[in-house]
Amino acid sequence: MKKTIFVLALVTVSFGLFAQKKTTTSAIIAFDASTSLDALPKAENKTAIAAIDTKTGSVAFEATVKNFSFSNPMMQDHFNGEKWLHSDAHPSFTFKGQIVDPSSVDFSKEGAYKTEVEGVLSVKGKEQKIKVPASIVVKGNSVVATSNFSIALADYDISGVPIDGGKVAKQPKITVSAELK
Amino acid sequence: MAKKRSWLKRLLLAGFILAVIGAGIYWYVATEKFSDTKDRKAAFTVNAVDFIKEFEKNATEANNKYKDKIIIVNGRVSEIEAADTTMNIKMADTLSNSFIIFAFQEQHISEPKTVKVGDSVSIKGSFSAGIFSEILEVVKIDFKRSALNK
Repeated sequence: MKKTIFVLALVTVSFGLFAQKKTTTSAIIAFDASTSLDALPKAENKTAIAAIDTKTGSVAFEATVKNFSFSNPMMQDHFNGEKWLHSDAHPSFTFKGQIVDPSSVDFSKEGAYKTEVEGVLSVKGKEQKIKVPASIVVKGNSVVATSNFSIALADYDISGVPIDGGKVAKQPKITVSAELK
Repeated sequence: MAKKRSWLKRLLLAGFILAVIGAGIYWYVATEKFSDTKDRKAAFTVNAVDFIKEFEKNATEANNKYKDKIIIVNGRVSEIEAADTTMNIKMADTLSNSFIIFAFQEQHISEPKTVKVGDSVSIKGSFSAGIFSEILEVVKIDFKRSALNK
């Protein structure tokens, strides 16, 4: 009897721990560095990994740099090249952070919440602390998280003639959206 | 004097022709689009689980071997996952949980809706990279601009 109760308790605890971490492997990360001089530098990655711990408020993202899909082959080559993202040496973008005020989101109650997420973004092997606004919608068993923000390319040692010449935005817009289950 | 003018005219004409050719090349390169993956010749045809194992064994070697290649992957659909209004198809190694994920090319975006989990499928796509995910602690292999290979 004691053994049965112990096993049931273990299963319940394990399920509880598992349930608090929600993940997806199809988060979308888009960036738009287009300017009035060039509409091409923008792309989207639809296979980013995202995780959110509904108990602790920790948030993490990973995106494979080479899976950003461009409409133009030349732009994609430049993006992955040594002078830009150097994706052979730095194959992924990562973000590890935390909801600044965990009480701003009630994951046990359906609704839409506005919050802020703070953490470390790693691009091209260079880490920068960022703080961004985020919207979180809790619906049924899923959590939909979105965020729009900008980063300065110079903070990640990304520079070059197209940026100086105004063909690539110095601060591209980043859009993140993920449905986590 | 007349000889000098003639030489100048030729120089200007050559400069003009070079400028037109340069502008043409730039226009072609800047407006070029990726061709339909379905029409492209695959460099490799692989089995999904064997392909995953190659990356688990030596990711650097496998990434170099398949770099920027069009590949046909044959395997069983383990999951169809929504990415906003579109769908991605996954093939996984059930023992290690490592997986391949295919994002579809715009003209083939509705094709994942024609298959279901458990189906044996053949997908042609542009290989991106295989990386170890620190979040999921498995190997993840990305494909972009994919299409069902019927």
